[in-house]
Amino acid sequence: MPPRIRSSNCPPQQLLLNYLDAPLPSSLLPLHRPAVASSTPSLPSPCRRQQQTSSFSTSQPLEMTKPQREFRLFLKRAGKQFEKHEGNGPMYLSLAKPEGGNNTPFPSNKMFKSEPVLSSRARQMIWEAVMLQGMPLKAVSAQYHVDMRRVAAVVRLMEIEKRMEKENAPMAIPYARAVEKMLPRANLMGEEEPFEPINDVHVHSFTMQQLFVPVSESREFTRKDAAKAFGDHILPPDHKMRIPELVKMERDILSGVPQAQAEKDFLARTRESERLFAESQKYVAAKKEAKKLKVDTERFEFRIEKFNSQAVGKRGRARNAVGWRYGVPFNDRQKGLYKIPTSVG
Amino acid sequence: MRCERRILRYHSLKRGRVRQTWNKYNMFNIWRMRDKKSVIGTFFQQKWAAKAATRAYHGEHIKEKQWERMFSRRLLSAVNMDPAYMAKYDGSEQAAGRGSGRDVKPAKGKYPKPDLARNTGNAEGMTPYMQMTFAPQERRLDISVFRALFASSARQARQFVIHGAVKVNGKKMQHPGYLLNPGDLFQVDPEKVMIATGRKKSSKTESSSTPKTPAAEEDAEPAEEAAEAAEQPAEELSPEQLKSQHLEGLKQLHQHARKIIELNKEKLSGGHKKEIRELSKKIKEAMNRARKVGANVQETGDDMENLATLMSHLELTPAERAELRQQQEQQQAEAPAAEATATSPETTSSTPDYPQLRTRTPVPAAQTKFDRVESQILKRLLEEEKINPWDPSKPYATPWRPRPYMSVFAFIPRYLEVNPKICAAVYLRHPVARPGKTEIPTPFNLHVSQLAFNWYLRRR
Repeated sequence: MPPRIRSSNCPPQQLLLNYLDAPLPSSLLPLHRPAVASSTPSLPSPCRRQQQTSSFSTSQPLEMTKPQREFRLFLKRAGKQFEKHEGNGPMYLSLAKPEGGNNTPFPSNKMFKSEPVLSSRARQMIWEAVMLQGMPLKAVSAQYHVDMRRVAAVVRLMEIEKRMEKENAPMAIPYARAVEKMLPRANLMGEEEPFEPINDVHVHSFTMQQLFVPVSESREFTRKDAAKAFGDHILPPDHKMRIPELVKMERDILSGVPQAQAEKDFLARTRESERLFAESQKYVAAKKEAKKLKVDTERFEFRIEKFNSQAVGKRGRARNAVGWRYGVPFNDRQKGLYKIPTSVG
Repeated sequence: MRCERRILRYHSLKRGRVRQTWNKYNMFNIWRMRDKKSVIGTFFQQKWAAKAATRAYHGEHIKEKQWERMFSRRLLSAVNMDPAYMAKYDGSEQAAGRGSGRDVKPAKGKYPKPDLARNTGNAEGMTPYMQMTFAPQERRLDISVFRALFASSARQARQFVIHGAVKVNGKKMQHPGYLLNPGDLFQVDPEKVMIATGRKKSSKTESSSTPKTPAAEEDAEPAEEAAEAAEQPAEELSPEQLKSQHLEGLKQLHQHARKIIELNKEKLSGGHKKEIRELSKKIKEAMNRARKVGANVQETGDDMENLATLMSHLELTPAERAELRQQQEQQQAEAPAAEATATSPETTSSTPDYPQLRTRTPVPAAQTKFDRVESQILKRLLEEEKINPWDPSKPYATPWRPRPYMSVFAFIPRYLEVNPKICAAVYLRHPVARPGKTEIPTPFNLHVSQLAFNWYLRRR
C-alpha cells in the first residue's frame, strides 16, 4: 500500500514541488506561501507543518493539540507518581482514580485483578519442602494452598536456577529484584488468606445447560445422579478432585478420627499415590522401550519400531499413518506451507 | 508466511487505541478510557466498534483471518470444590424438598447463624465468561513472553522469539505463533530481558546522576587506562617509595570507604553508586599494589575480606603505625589553618594515581578499623555494585534500573509461574474464568468484551 498522505496537510502541488527543481507557475503554489520561497531548496518540507492557518488569520497556531496538552498535564500531575517505582508493592493506574483500590491494573475492568505471586522466600520454602524434606507434591500443595501444578513448576524453575548459579550463568538479578518489588506478593506464612484454589474443577460445557429432570420427592438426588442426568460420560465432581485424599481426610475427621491421626494418614496416602503414579509412568516407559528393536553397530544404535501400514483410517488420511499412499499428497516440503510444531518434548 | 502488520500511528492520542505495550502514551490512553453510559448506533455498529477496540489491544500483530481461525466459542471456567463440604454433603441437600433445597428456619437467639451447606473457596459474583473472548491468544508464545514481563510489548516479545532468544523446554523456538501446552517451560535470554525492561541509555542521564567534579570526570575514563596509569610509575620507583605510596593510597582508600559508609548510614539506599564504583575500583588497584609490595593478600575475589586484610596489614606494622601517628599529629596541627582557608592540605597533596577525594565533611583519620555495622554496610554496597555494575558496554543504562512507568504494567496472570531471576516461566494451564474474576488481562469492561465475542460468533 502506498503511504497515505493527508490532503489537508500536504496538497499534491506541494508534493510535486519537492521533486521538481524547475520553478512552477505561481497558480500552482499555495496561497499563503510566497512564490519567491519556492526557488530556495533549503526550505523545510511543507509536510512537516503541524497546523494550517487561514491566510487572513493573525493568531498564532497552537503548538499542541488538545489530547497532547492533556497528556502533558497527566504526566505532570496524576501520572507523576508512576514514573519511578518507589516503595514495596504494586502501583497501578487505579491509584490515580477517585474510586481507588490498588489491585486493578486496568481501571475500566474491575473483573481483572492483579493477584499476588509467590515471593522468592515462598518459592524457597516450597523447594525445600519437596527436595529436602521429600514431601509429596499433593501434601505441599495442601499445606501451602498452592496448586499442585504450580508446586511442580516452582521446583522445576528453582532447580534450573540452582544449576545456573552453579554454572555461573548470567542472570537478571537487578531485574528480578525490581519486579518483585512491583508485584503483590504472598509469603505463605499462614496469616493471609489461601493463595489459590487447589481443588478446582473444570466446568464441562454439558453441565452449563439447564435441565428439567422429574424426580420423586422421596429420592436422594446426589451429585452423582446430577452428573448422570447431564450425560453418561459426565463425571461427578468427586471424581474430578485434584487431591481426593483431602476429602478422605475430612471424612475421617467427621467420623471421629483425631485430627493428628487423620493428617498422618493423609500424608501416607498422598505418598502412596505418588509412588503408584511414578511406578505406572515407569511401566509405560519400559513397555514403550521394549517394543523397539535395538541394533547396535559401531557407529550408530538403530532403533527399529513396528508400524502397521494398513492403519490409515477410513479415508486413508489418518494423521499418524505411515508411508506414501496413492492419492494422498505429501505436503511437508511444499513451498509456502508453514508448519508450527504443536509440542516440544 | 509473513504476517507482519503495519504500525500507523500506533500510540495515537487522537484515536486513543490501547495496545499491549508499556509505553507512556499507552498508559495515558488506558487511564482516560471511559465506560460509555449511553448506547450509540445500531447493534452492528456497537459490535464493530467493540471489535475494533479489543483487537487493537489483543494480538494486534496477528492477522484477522488467523485470529478468526483461533477463536473458540467454548469458554473455559473452573469452580473450587471445598473438600470439607464434599466430605460432609453429597449434594442431595440442594435437591431436597421441592427440588431447590429446604428452607432454612431462622435460628433463635440474638445473632441468628443459619447452618447452611456452603461450598467455600470461591469469590462472590458472576463468572465473567465474556472476558474470556481472547483467551486462545494467551496461549501464543509471544504473548506469554509479554505477560511474563520479559518484554515491554507483544511486538518486542515476538521479535525476541524470531531472533532466537526464547527457548521452549530447552529448545530454541522461533515461531511466535507456537501455542504453549500446559507444563511448557519457556526461557528468555536474560540480557534481552534487561534491555527490554531497563532504562534507555543516554549520555545525559549517565552524567547527571552525580554532581560534576574533576574527579568524577576522571573516573569516567575506562578502567584499563587507570590501571595502566597506576602501574607505570610503580615500575620506576624504589621499594621504599613504593611502600610509602602504597600506605598513602590505603589511607585514602580507607577514608573514602568511611565517607561512603557515613553517607549511607543516614539513608540506607544505594544512591551514591558512582562513589561506590570508584571505591571498588580503587580497592582492586590497592590489591595489585599490595601484591607488588609483597603483602600476603590472596586473590579471593571477596573485596571486603581483602580490604580487611589490607587494613589489618596497615595497622599491625609498628614502624608504619608510628609513621601514621606522626602524620595524624601533623594533620591535627594543620587542621585549624586548613579550615580557615577552606582548603584542606589533604586535598591539595594527592598521589597521582589516586584521584581527588570529594570530602565535604572531615573524616576522623584516627579510626583505622571498621566496626561491625560499618563493615556490613560497606559489604552490602560493594556486593550491590558487583551484581548491578556500571558498564558502558551494555545497550541499556547501567547500573540497571527499571524503565519509567513500568510498575503500572507489572502484573502476572495466574496461569503462569514466573521465575524472574532466570527469566523463565511455566505455562501451568489454560486461563480460566472463575466466579468473580477473570485471568485474561484486558483493559475492556464486560460489555465491550461481550460485544466483541458476539462479533466473532459465526452469525453476527
